[in-house]
Amino acid sequence: MEERKLMGKRLLATLALTTAGFAATAAMAEDTVVKVMHQGDPGWVEMYGKVAERFEAANPGVDIELVYAPHDAYNEKFSAAVMSKDLPDVFEMDAPFLANYVWSGYLAPIKPLIDPAVLEDMTASNIAQGTYPIDNELYGIGLTDSSVVLYGNRKYLEAIGARIPTSVDDAWTRAEFEDVLEKLSKVEGVKWPIDTFRGYGIKTEWITYAYEPILASFGCDLIDRTTWTSEGALDSQPCVDALTMMQDWAKKDWIVPMSAGTNQFFADGNPAALAWGGHWVYSQAAAAMGDNVVVLPLPKFGEKSASPNGTWIWGVSTASKHPDVAGKFISFLLQDADYRAYAVSQSAFPGLKSFAAQSPLYAEGGPMAIAFEQASKSAVARPPHPAYPTITSAFMQAFDVIINGGDAKTELTKAAQKIDEDIADNDGYPPFNGQ
Amino acid sequence: MTSTPQVRKPRSGRPAAKGRVAQELAMIAPALILMSLFLILPFLLSFWTSMTNQPLVPRPTPVRFLGFGNYIRILSDDLFWTAMWNVTRFSFWILPVQCGLAFLTALLLHQKLPLQNLLRGLFFLPAITSMVVVCVIWGTLFQYPTGPFNQVLGWVSGGRLGPIDWLGDPEWAMFSLVMLSAWQAYGFQMVIYLAGLQGIPEELYDASRIDGASRWRRFWHVTMPGLRPTHVFVLLITTIQAFKLYTQVAILTQGGPSNSTETVVHYMVRSGFEEQKLGLASAVSVILFLIVLVIALTQRQLLRRFDV
Repeated sequence: MEERKLMGKRLLATLALTTAGFAATAAMAEDTVVKVMHQGDPGWVEMYGKVAERFEAANPGVDIELVYAPHDAYNEKFSAAVMSKDLPDVFEMDAPFLANYVWSGYLAPIKPLIDPAVLEDMTASNIAQGTYPIDNELYGIGLTDSSVVLYGNRKYLEAIGARIPTSVDDAWTRAEFEDVLEKLSKVEGVKWPIDTFRGYGIKTEWITYAYEPILASFGCDLIDRTTWTSEGALDSQPCVDALTMMQDWAKKDWIVPMSAGTNQFFADGNPAALAWGGHWVYSQAAAAMGDNVVVLPLPKFGEKSASPNGTWIWGVSTASKHPDVAGKFISFLLQDADYRAYAVSQSAFPGLKSFAAQSPLYAEGGPMAIAFEQASKSAVARPPHPAYPTITSAFMQAFDVIINGGDAKTELTKAAQKIDEDIADNDGYPPFNGQ
Repeated sequence: MTSTPQVRKPRSGRPAAKGRVAQELAMIAPALILMSLFLILPFLLSFWTSMTNQPLVPRPTPVRFLGFGNYIRILSDDLFWTAMWNVTRFSFWILPVQCGLAFLTALLLHQKLPLQNLLRGLFFLPAITSMVVVCVIWGTLFQYPTGPFNQVLGWVSGGRLGPIDWLGDPEWAMFSLVMLSAWQAYGFQMVIYLAGLQGIPEELYDASRIDGASRWRRFWHVTMPGLRPTHVFVLLITTIQAFKLYTQVAILTQGGPSNSTETVVHYMVRSGFEEQKLGLASAVSVILFLIVLVIALTQRQLLRRFDV
């Protein structure tokens, strides 16, 4: 309870400060105020500030209030805003949480509010991540999408004479991949064969986002997507094998440990030879290593390849008194030239077709073309179910125990039970239970 | 002794007593109202919430009364017992480290030293530094494999020891939090010890000196007995603080690695905010309250015994 009060207080303080700041600059009290809640690294936050200013200049009488919430505690902050009845008009959300927000009744259908030209421009994956499976309505939209690829250090890979795959279809198999890791571990200068970015922490969506494709490639899933039960899926043998494999890598010291940070692939001396990294790593890696970076498809562990997708997208809340202005702001943001230019500089993964045309990085023959190829060939969305907050929390916890040597079967069984328990607590999240 | 009847006299007059009760009530009213509003009422509410499946945010499904269902679920959850074991472990480590450090510095600072006040201020400095700031700084010091602590360790041992993954190794993570927490918080206990030391009458030392007691005997037979209530108070307040361990965990380890730093309060926040089960989280808070209550009652009992 104390913590809840504390969070509320912190949020209130943030809101109060922002409000005070904007109140000072607001010309009139009767301005249409549109609150925009978002997360992001400092560069993005600065960009949102600039876009808000431009929007205000283009729309006299509108006041955009930006509310920042940190990435790893975003859902908690969002819940606090809901409880204090201080829901923003526009908010950024991580796509897999969309089902929970729609089911709980916080998100308004967005199609009538957004510029039709922008809607036309969405890629299939962008539409998929913003769509609620129950009514097939669009509730969220973004400029970007995402993927994870395998980055390689060319020098090291040449030293071991590894085959370099050039498309999703000829990705490394599990045997090849583990052979590469084994050989890399003996190469002079390599401290760790691979960085899987454990440095992001143990309570971060990265774990579910980046490692679920390994489960999918092994042929299992966090939850059965037709019956919506986790027992029998997450605790099945393929999932146990997948995580036991990762535990084995950790035991052999092949993975960069959590405490060693997130820059070991491109840091001086390149201590890590490979990186299981998000598309956003490319700009940093390329800046530090130049041509020495090779972009490879994620390995194919079982029958099929799998890669993650989905990113932070924008939605309009049901509490908004000015949904039209909110929609106008989102449309404005997605078309803002500066915002797009900044996104390109951050190697952002295109979610709009016109933005893809602006991003040579992902175009045919571009250095990140494989990421784009993965999006159409092997992308697996995280389960679009309102129990997702518990699904991801349970999986993160199990992963942390397993990677530190815990028994995979025991921990995955516990996680699956926890997920099913949550679904039962919510009466099966109707209509997801078929009722 | 002779003054006793004089003190009694005004009390015997009834009208005066009545006026005094009204006065007293008026004076405690603000505290009473604020405490009921912000402590007692929320506690009763959270007790009620703990009996339901209240979600953090409103949901389309109905809120149901579960009786002690949440309590049963918590008490049968392995992770809760891991958290209980961890805070117990934490308090057993931190008690000697933090209280010992506080006691030794208090003894040192109680001597007539030059720059006494400046030194006291310096030693108290960590206690007034925000825990969040301390965590961020120590997080850097703990870095693996090339952080300052590991470099010092390697240098001192001539490369034979380390590097240690202070926060990433389940064997070490809790110990690292103990060191950090003790360093940040010992100033508070130090001040209490200083007050306790100043409360020992100088005459006792004079008398024992006349009796020819050595420095060591004076410490054992005057200082230590004189500090008994202080010891009890310090030990128990430290235990209560240890049971409420949260900030360090939330910032540095998030309960990991491998649940080795999961604590009761962190478990509560996780259930309440991540998994959005407010009813369950409230039940954890009630359980924590009961634990702290038991510790506090023990403290009162022990203090009473030693005071007489």
